[in-house]
Amino acid sequence: MKIPEELLKSAKKYHYDTFLMQGVEIPHLCVEKSKILSSFCCPGLEISAKKYSQGVKIKIVVKKGVKIEKPVFLCFGVLGKNGKQIILPEITLEENSEAKILSFCTFPKARKVFHKMEAKIKLKKKTRLIYKEIHYHGDKFGTKIETDFKIFVGQESGFESKFVLDKGSVGKLKVNLRAQLEKESFCKVLNKVIGRGKKDEIEIYDKILLNGESSSSLNKLRGVMINGGRIFFKGETEVTKKAKNARGHIDCQEIVVGENSMVQSTPIIIVKNPEARVTHEASIGKINQKELETLMSRGLSEKEAIDFVIKGMIE
Amino acid sequence: MKKILEVKNLSVESRESKKKILENISFEVDENSIYALVGPNGAGKSTLAYALMGAPRFRIIAGKIIFENKDITKTSIEKRAKMGIALAFQEPAYFENIRVKDFLKVGNKDISEKEIEKTLSLVGLDPKVFLNRKVNRQLSGGERKRIEFASIIAMKPKLMILDEPDSGLDIIIYREFYNILENIKRETKSSIILITHREEIGAICDKAGLLYKGKIIDEGDFRKVIREYCQIVNRKKICKGFKE
Repeated sequence: MKIPEELLKSAKKYHYDTFLMQGVEIPHLCVEKSKILSSFCCPGLEISAKKYSQGVKIKIVVKKGVKIEKPVFLCFGVLGKNGKQIILPEITLEENSEAKILSFCTFPKARKVFHKMEAKIKLKKKTRLIYKEIHYHGDKFGTKIETDFKIFVGQESGFESKFVLDKGSVGKLKVNLRAQLEKESFCKVLNKVIGRGKKDEIEIYDKILLNGESSSSLNKLRGVMINGGRIFFKGETEVTKKAKNARGHIDCQEIVVGENSMVQSTPIIIVKNPEARVTHEASIGKINQKELETLMSRGLSEKEAIDFVIKGMIE
Repeated sequence: MKKILEVKNLSVESRESKKKILENISFEVDENSIYALVGPNGAGKSTLAYALMGAPRFRIIAGKIIFENKDITKTSIEKRAKMGIALAFQEPAYFENIRVKDFLKVGNKDISEKEIEKTLSLVGLDPKVFLNRKVNRQLSGGERKRIEFASIIAMKPKLMILDEPDSGLDIIIYREFYNILENIKRETKSSIILITHREEIGAICDKAGLLYKGKIIDEGDFRKVIREYCQIVNRKKICKGFKE
């Protein structure tokens, strides 16, 4: 896998196994702006990418009954100061298949970069997908990112997603996730974000539709805003009439540090089946003073203690 | 004997409520000794512990704290920690995602894994079980207290302030706790200020002070002090069986 040096540098910040990333037989796709740098498939996996006028269309198919042992790496980025990238992936897991996708999006020098991803993910019956997306936006607050996921989780299937942006600046970030779950399927969605400046604005909207009997979901947010930026989180879980015994939970923990920082969290729970249950818990505000005092009594400065607590929460 | 701590005419108020909590407190702690601080609930024992540690929520309005002949009255909490003062909190905080071994490293980054294991053993915790456990609410109250204890031992402090390490423990465990305390005193050579309600602690204490309504009203031999304490709070149960 030929990966530009800049991209590897950002990956190292996240302790990515860059050695593994560069392995010749690692299934992957690497795109810079609209240029397809490299790709590799393995038996049972199809990856195709096509450049079009606006960006790159991608198709990933995990074939019926196939379990992809190695993680599939997707690397997207704009490595210069300015640029635009539009990625349209369609990921399908055929019946009885399994895969793990690690998607790394990096804009290390961004001053004016726009990245948009519109992903459609379809999990057919008895499948399992772990999708982890990590972002690095450099330190100039110069990105505008819009990611949109439409996910269908078929019967007896499981989808786990993790979105992480906890290093460097954020810029403007919009994450939109819609997941529909069928009978006996489950979905775990975790977003971890840290904003570090007044130019950071984070909007996350996750909507999970529990549409099948005994389907279940967990929607977690761990967010920190430091030095004047804003986080808006909306977590919605809806149980439809036919989703008997469905279970859902929304768990939101956010820390606000510094003047003018702001966090807004809105849980929305709609239950249309009397045998279903959705719960919600949230903790938003300043760092627990008892934790800070304990750490400072062990010799940490206030800043070091705050970093320690944040690291603990985000990890 | 050499003094490690001298508290002179100390008055302390809460920074938030501005209420005076301690008034004109004076006492001294000898090197490598255990000083017991007894007194009823609300007497100001924990406030004194926090004030000695330098917790920002309390403000010293008069008096001085001398540690190893240096005036630390205006020294910050983290600097006091680095100078060798450590406080084990009565109700320790929980840290959801922090492993025990990482928590023990907070106050001493250079501590080796072997030393961490030894420290856990010293407080009666099996390192194999606890080293990688999280400092979260899955721990029992007693386990969390032992970890708190271990975390300050790991700092190798010159002065440990233990705020009711025996509260919330059952009778069997707190007897074991006193043995641990003796081991620590022997092994670490630290001086200890021990805040307690229990008269059994007398066996291992060198000196005691009685804190009542924000003032130290009696000081000296533990037995003398505890007798005075019993008279004040009229807790006959505590005094029953107490032999002069």
